[in-house]
Amino acid sequence: MLATMAYAGLWRTCKMLISRHPVLSPAAIRTHSSASGDLMPWTSLSRPPWPEQPSPFSAEEERSRHAAVVSTVNQRIKLRDFGRLFAVVHFAGRQWKVTGEDLILIENHIEAECGERIRMEKVLLVGAEDFTLIGRPLLGKELVRVEATVIEKTESWPKVHMRFWKRHRFQRKRIIIQPQTVLRINSVEMAPRLT
Amino acid sequence: MTSRGTPSRFLRSVLQNGVGRYVCQLKRISIIFSKKAQSSLGARDFIEEGVVDYANKNPGTVIYVSPQPCRVPKIVAEYLNGNVREETITSKTSQQISELLTKLTNQSGLEIIRIRKPIHTDSPSIQGLWHPFTNRPPSIGPIRPQKPDSQ
Repeated sequence: MLATMAYAGLWRTCKMLISRHPVLSPAAIRTHSSASGDLMPWTSLSRPPWPEQPSPFSAEEERSRHAAVVSTVNQRIKLRDFGRLFAVVHFAGRQWKVTGEDLILIENHIEAECGERIRMEKVLLVGAEDFTLIGRPLLGKELVRVEATVIEKTESWPKVHMRFWKRHRFQRKRIIIQPQTVLRINSVEMAPRLT
Repeated sequence: MTSRGTPSRFLRSVLQNGVGRYVCQLKRISIIFSKKAQSSLGARDFIEEGVVDYANKNPGTVIYVSPQPCRVPKIVAEYLNGNVREETITSKTSQQISELLTKLTNQSGLEIIRIRKPIHTDSPSIQGLWHPFTNRPPSIGPIRPQKPDSQ
């Protein structure tokens, strides 16, 4: 699923570059030659360690299969044929796998009062039981909607931060109390409109 | 002490607060202070100016103001799950006391001990838990690793 046209263009150019040398074995490619015109140097991680198996279908068949999968998924989404949805959301510097009615603890202060609803905009992935939509890297805002409520704004338990060097008569003790926020994810919704 | 020596709990909310409506968890606040002592000066100032605004902002919380002959002025907060928290407000200014009250209002009554995980879900798996036969085609005979054709 391509989120934006910009990413689509980049993926297609990379695919063209990779498929330009399909049958060259790694021994034939020298690391320091720029004559081949590769973008990246050849390393041990340039290709997977398993042998490359060409797919048993032709390019036409592959394309038709992909189109069939995409149309099935689109149909499911239009008819709202999915049950519970989960989403991977980037929030407060971390990624969380999130469903409806679950709790999240953030180790800092959020500029919202208790009881306010928040919408999380950076959604990386949305999945149902039979299909998943993966963003590159984010999914569109008109496609997924993840809403949360701020339940509690407390402080953490007093953590002890102690430094001690033996035989040097050096010890420092400090109590760290951090602000915490608890969010309850109210819903993960998906719109029936897809590009 | 250490997290191993102190009690710990899992992240939870009181009675699924937030799924439907959000309910403020603070039930009752009692401010115990003295009329004459110097340590209750901030408490007296707060009661003169800030208490009424606070009470209007939190209509779900009951505030009891009790002047008593006491050495140490206190705020006793009771929560909906039955927990009681006492905070001393000796020699605090009115501003500090109002900040403390907002902090107590925003808390739920659960204990402030180490929380083991920052997440809690009731439905951890939607696509099914992985087991070694997921996404594996059925095969007859023993399963051996593939021989590498070219390395």
